[in-house]
Amino acid sequence: MNQIVVVGTSHHIAPLDFRERLSFSESELTEAFQLLREHPDVQEATILSTCNRVEVYAVTHGKNGCATLSDFLSTYHQIEPQQLGKFTYSHQNLDVIRHIFEVTASLDSMIVGEPQILGQVKEAYTQSLAAGATGDILNRLLTKAISVGKRVRTETNIAAGAVSISYAAVELAKRIFQSLEDKTVAIIGAGEMSELTAKHLVKNNVSQVIVANRTYQRAVDIAKKFSGIPLTYDADLSFLVEADIVISSTDAPHYLIHRHSLAEIMKKRKYRYMFLIDIAVPRDIDPEASKVDNAFLYNIDDLEAVVVSNLKDRHQEAEIAEQIVTEEVAKFQSQLQVFEVNPTIKALHQQFQQVASKELGICLDKAQLTPKQQKMVEAMTQSIIKKLLHQPTKHLRGVALNPDLTGAVNDSNDEHVKCVRALQELFDLENTRDRNLRG
Amino acid sequence: MNSLFFYALLLVYLVGCILHILFLTTGNRRIAKFAYWLTIGGFALHSLFILLRWRYVGHLMAYWYDSTSFLAWAIILIYLCIAHRPRLRTIGVFVVPAAFIATLVAYTLQTQENTAIPTYLQNYWLIAHSAVIFLAYAAFVAAFGFGLMYLIEEKKIRQKQHMPIHNLLPALGGSDELGHKCILVGVILMTMGILIGILWTRYVQEVKWTWVDSKVIFTIATWLIYVLQLSIRQVLGWRGRKTAYSAIIGFAAVLFTYVGVNLFLPSIHAF
Repeated sequence: MNQIVVVGTSHHIAPLDFRERLSFSESELTEAFQLLREHPDVQEATILSTCNRVEVYAVTHGKNGCATLSDFLSTYHQIEPQQLGKFTYSHQNLDVIRHIFEVTASLDSMIVGEPQILGQVKEAYTQSLAAGATGDILNRLLTKAISVGKRVRTETNIAAGAVSISYAAVELAKRIFQSLEDKTVAIIGAGEMSELTAKHLVKNNVSQVIVANRTYQRAVDIAKKFSGIPLTYDADLSFLVEADIVISSTDAPHYLIHRHSLAEIMKKRKYRYMFLIDIAVPRDIDPEASKVDNAFLYNIDDLEAVVVSNLKDRHQEAEIAEQIVTEEVAKFQSQLQVFEVNPTIKALHQQFQQVASKELGICLDKAQLTPKQQKMVEAMTQSIIKKLLHQPTKHLRGVALNPDLTGAVNDSNDEHVKCVRALQELFDLENTRDRNLRG
Repeated sequence: MNSLFFYALLLVYLVGCILHILFLTTGNRRIAKFAYWLTIGGFALHSLFILLRWRYVGHLMAYWYDSTSFLAWAIILIYLCIAHRPRLRTIGVFVVPAAFIATLVAYTLQTQENTAIPTYLQNYWLIAHSAVIFLAYAAFVAAFGFGLMYLIEEKKIRQKQHMPIHNLLPALGGSDELGHKCILVGVILMTMGILIGILWTRYVQEVKWTWVDSKVIFTIATWLIYVLQLSIRQVLGWRGRKTAYSAIIGFAAVLFTYVGVNLFLPSIHAF
């Protein structure tokens, strides 16, 4: 009896320090693959190790696959089995398929719809393939999981909408300006958030960055990062006339930009649109300033609200993604079962062919046939084999293609497993037993 | 034959309207593509209809309803010029219904033979004069559409409303710029139309050109609204909401000049 199993941990159940202990570094991976390959119970294995999850997938002999992997993890990382049990989960067979599909579809991620996980699974697959750790079953499972991840991203909006404040700011800018290409960004003050937002804007082809700070040196330091123009400012904010996007995050205790001063600036810039992002607490820009024509003001709470509503949208899309996953699990299960019956079908055909060619040889030796007659007898033999095997082959593929979602993949009561067993016993197909998943 | 064409056109434009609205609500770009190609089909049919009438009636603008039908055709022409860029197909939500209404009006008016233009006026001057002005009207209809799109999007941004995943309206800068271009094209065409009219009356008919006609007065007023708006934009940088509002006011003026004047005031212009 073979099974597909996974043992792992993720941000859902384990704290960071535990995930760190369980994770595999690049060099550890090579070693771990080596150990797993040499393990008598493990046929195939792959390891997915990211900062949010560590998972070992394997195809194992016997019924205790999960225990095998848990033992491996606890010995390898020297973690007490009790603690390991507390912070890890394990799945078998059908649940493994569902689990890995959910992982690649980013349904299991901290932020639903995040793009990294798909690349991480690809990377893990390439590594285990290079280490020669995977075989037919895991190769199929991982390739399929990656394609399910892609399908979910193209067919749903699970990855749409900004889910961080800095991206939300960029998306808003795109709703105001038709193109960001010839636009100028001004950063007033300093801060991680404002620099991150500016970085995203620069990535979206903003042409110029102005960095204004009370101390010139500080402005120079930040401006270097964007090859921007450093400035100092006092009460005079005339540089804003050139700015299309303003990101303000000073620690000034009072408003820096008032309604009337903004109105003056807007008049000077002939009312070209201005997008003001106030991420300072306390605020830098008087909320009244948003009443100035063609000036659009968003503060940190507004951006936060955008992010929250986008996340809500993503969770709605996740329901559609779940349906896709369910559909794909069913499809994959039947593919796996067809794959499982294939060696038996092949062995059966081979056995028939062997018997036929042996008997044909004897017959052709005895009977003195013309070449034409000889050909006819050969053709007849082939056609008898074909016709005799047609029905059993069709039946076997048929039951394999018909997945029963309530049962596990390797439930030995499955119709196709029964058929395979019966065929193996009736025709004594010894040589397929080792290769077949069910043995 | 007329009615048959009208039924077909009304059907195509109506389905076009529904599809465009469906596109705006669902965000399905395939619907937009279908709506676009359907409208192209409607445009081809409409062109054929106009050409056939020209051939059999002998003139492009022989009756009131010919002009309305031509206006619908011109609106669709402007739509196609804009919507060949897939991102801008939402404009169809605003202008295809306008074309549908114009076609419907043309259909209901077609039995009124008394709206015919006197035969001595049915010449190429009339065609040039009115066709150019109706093309200008169509451009103003599109500017009106962009104005509405701007105001809707601006309201959403200012009220910090939840942003749908499919944001189909162009960016504020885009709506504004396109609306401005439509007005610019409209003003150029309208100026040409007015000049053709002046030349026609003055040199060809050898009648003294007069200001007194109500149609002339309102046409000039409409023209002034748009020219004023363009000048202020140039000098003071009016844009955004103000452009949108002036596009709407201008559109109201166009409507009154085209329909209102004939309904309420005497004029030597049949349309």
